[in-house]
Amino acid sequence: MTDDSLLSIRDLRAQFHTDEGVVRAVDGVSFDVGRGETVCLVGESGSGKTVTAESITRLLATPPGRIVGGEIRFDGTDVTSMAEDELRTIRGSRIAHVFQNPQGSLNPVYSVGAQIGEAIRAHRRVSRRHARARAIDLLESVGIPDPAARVDDYPHEFSTGQKQRVAIAMALACDPDLLIADEPTTALDVTVQADILDLLASLQAERGMSILLVTHDLGVVARLADRVVVLYAGTVLERADVVDLFERPAHPYTRALLECLPGVDGEVEPIGGTLPSPIDPPDGCRFAPRCPHAIEECHAGGRPPPSTVGDDHVASCLGYHREYRGAIDLERHPTAEETQRVSDRPDAGIDGGGPR
Amino acid sequence: MAWFVGRRLVWALFATFLVVTLTFALLAASPNPETSQAAWQAAQDGSDPEEARALVDQQHGAGDSLTTQYVSYMVSMFSLDWGQSTTYNEDVTSVIANAWVYSAITVIPATIIAVVVGFGIGLYSATHQYTTADYAATLVAFFGVSIPNFWFAIVLMLVFGELLGLTPISYDSEVPFWSLEHLSYLVLPITVLATAAVASEMRYARAEALEYVSATWTKTARAKGLSETAVTIRHVFRPATVPLVTILVADLVGIIFATAYVVEVIFGIPGLGYVSYQALVRMDTPLVLATTLIPVFVTIVANLCQDLAYTVLDPRIDYEGRSP
Repeated sequence: MTDDSLLSIRDLRAQFHTDEGVVRAVDGVSFDVGRGETVCLVGESGSGKTVTAESITRLLATPPGRIVGGEIRFDGTDVTSMAEDELRTIRGSRIAHVFQNPQGSLNPVYSVGAQIGEAIRAHRRVSRRHARARAIDLLESVGIPDPAARVDDYPHEFSTGQKQRVAIAMALACDPDLLIADEPTTALDVTVQADILDLLASLQAERGMSILLVTHDLGVVARLADRVVVLYAGTVLERADVVDLFERPAHPYTRALLECLPGVDGEVEPIGGTLPSPIDPPDGCRFAPRCPHAIEECHAGGRPPPSTVGDDHVASCLGYHREYRGAIDLERHPTAEETQRVSDRPDAGIDGGGPR
Repeated sequence: MAWFVGRRLVWALFATFLVVTLTFALLAASPNPETSQAAWQAAQDGSDPEEARALVDQQHGAGDSLTTQYVSYMVSMFSLDWGQSTTYNEDVTSVIANAWVYSAITVIPATIIAVVVGFGIGLYSATHQYTTADYAATLVAFFGVSIPNFWFAIVLMLVFGELLGLTPISYDSEVPFWSLEHLSYLVLPITVLATAAVASEMRYARAEALEYVSATWTKTARAKGLSETAVTIRHVFRPATVPLVTILVADLVGIIFATAYVVEVIFGIPGLGYVSYQALVRMDTPLVLATTLIPVFVTIVANLCQDLAYTVLDPRIDYEGRSP
């Protein structure tokens, strides 16, 4: 939370208009990304992490999506009020994106060199030859063997992992300050996943850029993140340094998420219930219907305000609130009966995967 | 590439051969109208109808075996000796040579209009889905597809020719070929021809483009900082051309040929459709044959062009014939 953050998001709200009603995909999200830092947005499918990431450069499909409130400042400039043309000078040159599905993110009818060159020439007045030469350099830097020979190949001639490397090369074309990677490894084989994560880490070390990584995979978080933002049903439940988050998780949801990881003792504890309805979210804490510690106050009123629980560590839970600190004992392990009560709760939610 | 083109060419030739052979089989199986005509004539003149029938049959080589007939038929087909037209009292080939220009002057502009306007509106519709303009385009498209072209032609003639007096009603081949006046004769026929084709191309273009409007690579292109125009043309339209070319040929050939027939007859343009109609009405077999085979040949050539265009447009197509 420093003033010289590269990216600063305050109370971001984004909605989708659907036939069933207005989906509040992102409902008051705030966080910062410092220079040279890797921040992970963690959450289940439908928690609003992709919508948050795509709101930054307004890639969100409008309609049906719409950013309805909040402020996004990039390097001190408010991008939410920027005109489309102005925003375009930032897209790809200062903020670059890598998407989940490398299969689909490359256009099948152009060579990879042409697609990387297109990214360069969108922002820099260079010749085609020059762009092609730079594309070869970029392909080399992302670990494509024999780049000079492969620059004119078409996407279908690359493996999925290599396609993701090409997509990363394309994102790096104009040396961005911020790379937004949305589940960059989810579509890949496990062995390739590790390579791509290593590549991202080494590229960041080389270039000193910031990375905003969207993922549902806590393994990825542990590997790359400096700081973590835990999203749930369009709201931030916890923000912490990565070590803090894994060693001293504060929010009951974060704790439950960590329980889901296959641990040393081999016991996996799934979280009962499902995500609440994004159209008509419950009052109070969004996680309360699934929270074994929830008291009556958790189900009423607005969302719990963020409470500081440590150095640069914030959790939005009444358990840390001055008034309720005594009423909720977060350290008590929930009884079997309480866990059962949560799983049996009539299901008001829909199962994950909010509109994209 | 050369191997692929060669194979496609051989296929096209084989298809041509097959069509010509099938036509021969049909002709051999059907009675010759000329013989019955000659017999009827003879009966009226008081001579022997059977004799006259036999005479005509002999002139046409009826005494020969089917094989001999087939060989001589094939030789004359491929040497472009397509016989005499009884309607025009001319070689069939010279009738065709005179007529095709009149078809070309309506069909070619209509095709260009169909592709440019149809694809243009379709692309706009796809990138502005569910806007008023999109709905309006859909409405126009359904109008164009649904309206019967013969009726539409007559209504246009009535409104613009008769009521408003803006255009000539019936075609006049005496008008100088390269003149504005000539164009005024062609406006209505081209409009009728283009209406159905534009509507059809527009629907296809919209459907194909829609598939790519929401593709991840268009989002990637936008994330790179490309303008909306660049995204639409390079990342929506360009990949859509691959399936569109496939549809384009079959669709356009179908619509344009079918409509050209009606349009030429209604407006009295002496093109291939009109000639074909005259030949049918007067049972002028050689001319019927020629005007039926020509669209078939055009379709075969168009399909060949389409296959070749496909390999140029889609890098994923492997023209060496090996699996990708």
